Amino acid sequence: MRTYLIRRLPSALLVLLAASFLIFTILRLVPGDPATTLAGPDADAATVAAIRGRLGLDAPLLTQYAHWIGSLLTGDLGPSYAIGGQTADLIGDGLGATTELTVAALVFVIVLGTAFGVLGATSRSRWLTAAVRVITTAALAVPPFVSGVLLVLLFAVALPVLPPGGRVAFLTAPDLAVQYLVLPALCLALPSAAVLGRYLKDGIERGLAEDYIRTATAAGIAPRRLLWRHTLPNALPPVVTLLGMQVGNLLGGAVLVEAIFAWPGLGQLAEQGLQRRDYPVVQDLLLLLVAVFVLVQLLTDLVHAWLDPRIRWE
Amino acid sequence: MTELYPFTPSGPTRRSTLRAAGGGALLLGLGLAGCRSAVSNTSSSPQGASAAPHRGGVLNVAVNADFTPALLFAQSGQSLQQRLIYNTLTRYDDDLRPKPELATSWTYAKDGRSITLRLRDDVTFHNGREFTADDVVFAVKNLQNPVRAAQLRSTAATITGFEKRGDHELVLKLAHPVNNLFDLFEFMIITDPESVEDAVAGKKFIGTGPFKLKKWSPGSGLSLTRNDAYWQPGRPYLDGVELRVIAQADALISSLRSGQSQLSFDVPGKSIGVVKSESGLTISDYDTGAGAIYLGVNTTVAPLNDRTVRQALARAVDRDRLVAQTLGGYGLASAAPWPKSSPAFTEAHRTHYTHDPAKARALLKSAGHSRLDLPMLHIALPGETAIAESIQYDLKQIGVHVTLQPTDGATAQKKLISQGMPALWSMGHGFAQVQPSTLAVSAYPFNEAKNTSRYRSAEYTEVVQEAWTKPETDTAAANALHEKISSILLDEAFLIDLVVRGQLQVSAARLHGVTLNKFSYLNLDNAYLV
Repeated sequence: MRTYLIRRLPSALLVLLAASFLIFTILRLVPGDPATTLAGPDADAATVAAIRGRLGLDAPLLTQYAHWIGSLLTGDLGPSYAIGGQTADLIGDGLGATTELTVAALVFVIVLGTAFGVLGATSRSRWLTAAVRVITTAALAVPPFVSGVLLVLLFAVALPVLPPGGRVAFLTAPDLAVQYLVLPALCLALPSAAVLGRYLKDGIERGLAEDYIRTATAAGIAPRRLLWRHTLPNALPPVVTLLGMQVGNLLGGAVLVEAIFAWPGLGQLAEQGLQRRDYPVVQDLLLLLVAVFVLVQLLTDLVHAWLDPRIRWE
Repeated sequence: MTELYPFTPSGPTRRSTLRAAGGGALLLGLGLAGCRSAVSNTSSSPQGASAAPHRGGVLNVAVNADFTPALLFAQSGQSLQQRLIYNTLTRYDDDLRPKPELATSWTYAKDGRSITLRLRDDVTFHNGREFTADDVVFAVKNLQNPVRAAQLRSTAATITGFEKRGDHELVLKLAHPVNNLFDLFEFMIITDPESVEDAVAGKKFIGTGPFKLKKWSPGSGLSLTRNDAYWQPGRPYLDGVELRVIAQADALISSLRSGQSQLSFDVPGKSIGVVKSESGLTISDYDTGAGAIYLGVNTTVAPLNDRTVRQALARAVDRDRLVAQTLGGYGLASAAPWPKSSPAFTEAHRTHYTHDPAKARALLKSAGHSRLDLPMLHIALPGETAIAESIQYDLKQIGVHVTLQPTDGATAQKKLISQGMPALWSMGHGFAQVQPSTLAVSAYPFNEAKNTSRYRSAEYTEVVQEAWTKPETDTAAANALHEKISSILLDEAFLIDLVVRGQLQVSAARLHGVTLNKFSYLNLDNAYLV
C-alpha cells in the first residue's frame, strides 16, 4: 500500500501545481481588483494607483505568481488585502467551521443513508418502502436553498427549537455547538444521504441474492445476522468510494448552506474574498480546496483497499 | 461462523471500528441531551425587565456584510460599529443643527476662516489614555491622507493650521471658508493615534466610545463589550453588542423572526411585508435620506449627450411604483437627491419629473429618436436587480430598449471610479443628507471636477465651489445656491434621481433607544432591552 501511495504522490503534486497556475490566471482575468475595493467609492485614480503599488499589484504577473508560490512554500500566506487580518488566520477559522459542518453532515449522511439503504432493501412493509422512496426522491430533488429555508421556518421560526443560523465553536461549548450544527448539517446531508441510501439499497439487494447467503439461510443463520455481519460488509467497499465523492459534494454544497445558515466557513470566506477581489484569500483557499479533494481521493482509495483485501493484495 | 476473508487483522477490525463509531455517536447524543438551549441562550435580556431604561443584556445586530477595516475612515456599506467603538466631535439633530459630543462648544471666526473648539476634559480612550486636542489634530491629518479614502477628504484638506490652547481647546484654521465643517465633525471618528495602523489592519480598535472590542472574527462579525469608563455617566445600558454577519436575506429575516437578532438595517424592501406581520418586530424609517437610488447617464455616449434625451428618460421612470414594488413602500419618490430634512429640499424639485410616458416619448421624438437600444449596468444583487428591471420596463414603454448588464460590486466600483460605465447604470448614492454642498464635493457621481457621467460644466463648478465655500452664516445666499445646484442637476439630468431612502430599521419590540447619525453610525448610548 505504501508503494501504491508513493506512486500516486507525483501526480497529486502536479495537479496542485497546475491548479495553482490556473487559479492565479483566472482570478487575474476577472474584472475589478482589490485596489478599487480598498480605495472606496469616491476615490481618485491616484489613490487607486497608490494602493495598487502598495499591494504589489503593479508588478508583472509572473513575478506576482512566483511571489505567491514562494510565500506558500515558506508557509507565509501574508495579509488579506481587503477583508482584514492574516490570510492564514482567516482560512484557519473558516476551515475549522467548514470541517465541523462537513463532518457533522457526513455523520448525517452515514446514519440517514444507512437507514434509507437498509430499510429500502429489507423492509417487508410496502408503506415503509414507499415512504423511504418518497423521502429519498424528495431529498435528491429539493435543492439545499429550498430545504434550508423550510428547515429554518419549521425548526427555528415556527416551533422554535433550534437556532436559525450562526455558529458556536465546538470546542467552546459543545452542547450549544451541536444545536447550531443540526440544521445546516442536515440540510447539507440530505441529497448525499439519499444517494448513499439508494446505492446501499442496491448493494444489499444484490448481496442478499448471492449463493452464499442462500446457503447460510438454509443453514439457519438468522436474517438479521446475515444482513449486518455478511451482506452489509460486502456492500460497503463501493459505498465508501461513493462516500469519498460525497465529501467533495458536501464541501461544494457547503458554500450555499453556509450562506443560508450564516455559517462562517470557507464558503462564506470564498464569497467575501471574491466579492472584494481579495487575491491572497481566494488563491490560497481555492488551492487548499483542490488539495483537500486530492487528499480525500487518496484516502478514499486507501480505505477502499482496507475494506477490500483484493485491492490491497494487488 | 464463516469468515469471509482468511486473514487476521493486526489493528482494529472493520466491525469494531463501525461499532465504535456508532457507540460514539450514541454517547455524544446522550451526553448532549438535557443541555442548554441555543435558542433561549441567544436572546439575552436583563433581569427583572420592565419598560423603564435599565442596565444589562446583550444586543444582537444582524448585518448583511462585515465591515472592512481598511475602510474604517471612509463611509462604506457597513458603518454601524463606528459610533459604538468611537466618538465624533459633534452630531446633528433632526434639523441639521450640530450638537456637542467630544466637542462641548465652538466659535466660528467672523470671516469663516477658523473655528475654535472646546473639548471634553473627562474622556479617556479604551486603553486608559486621556483624550486631548492632539487626538483631534491627528484625526484631521489622518483624513487628509488619500490612502484613508475618506469621502470628506476635501473638507478635511481645507484645515491647514492648528493652534492648541491647552489640552482641551483647539483652533482649526481653514484655507478658505467651508460650510460643511460639521459634516466632517460628525463623520470623523476619533481614534487612538498610536494604534491606528493596527485598526486599519483589523488588529486593534481603540476609541472613546461606549463599547470596547472583545473580538472581531472576519466574516462572522464583531463582539463588543460595555466600556465601564465611558464618559457619559450610567451609559451605556447594554452589557454588550454582537454584530453578526448574515449575508443571505432569508437567513437574516429568520434570525429576526426567531428572536436570535434584535436589530437590523438590512432587510430588503421586498421582504418588509414578511416582517410587518410579525408582532414582536417593529419597523422604523429614519428620514435621514442617507441613501438614494439613481439612474446614471454617460453623457459622452450618443444620443445621451443630448440633454433632451436625458430629460425624456427622467420622465419615463415611474418612481412611485418603484417605491411600492421594490422598496416595500419605504422611500420618497423624488427627482432631486435631497431628503426632506435637507435645507435644499423643495417639493417643486421633488416632483420636477413625474411619470409621464407620453411627454417622454414626445421629448425623444423632438430629439429625433423613436427607438433606442442602450446597455444598463446594475449590481447583481436581488434588490438591485429588481430596481434595474423596474427601470428597464419603464424605459421600454417610451421606446428605449435596455439590455441589463448585471455586474458584481467590485467590478461596478472600478467602472464607477474609472468613468468606465456604459450608457446607463443604476446604483445608489449618499451624502445628500447633510449640507448640500457636500454632495457635489464628496460624492463621486456628483463631483463637479470629475464624475462618472463625464459631465463637465463651468457653471456647475462655479456654483458648487461657491456653495461649498460660502460661510454658513449667510442662510439666504446659501439657499439661493442650493436652488442653483438643484436646477442644474434637474435640467442637465446627468444623474437622474429616483428615490430618496432613509435607513429602514427592523427591531425587536423590546429594544428601545436606538438612533443613527447622518452617516449611519449606530448610537446605542441610550439603548436598552426590556
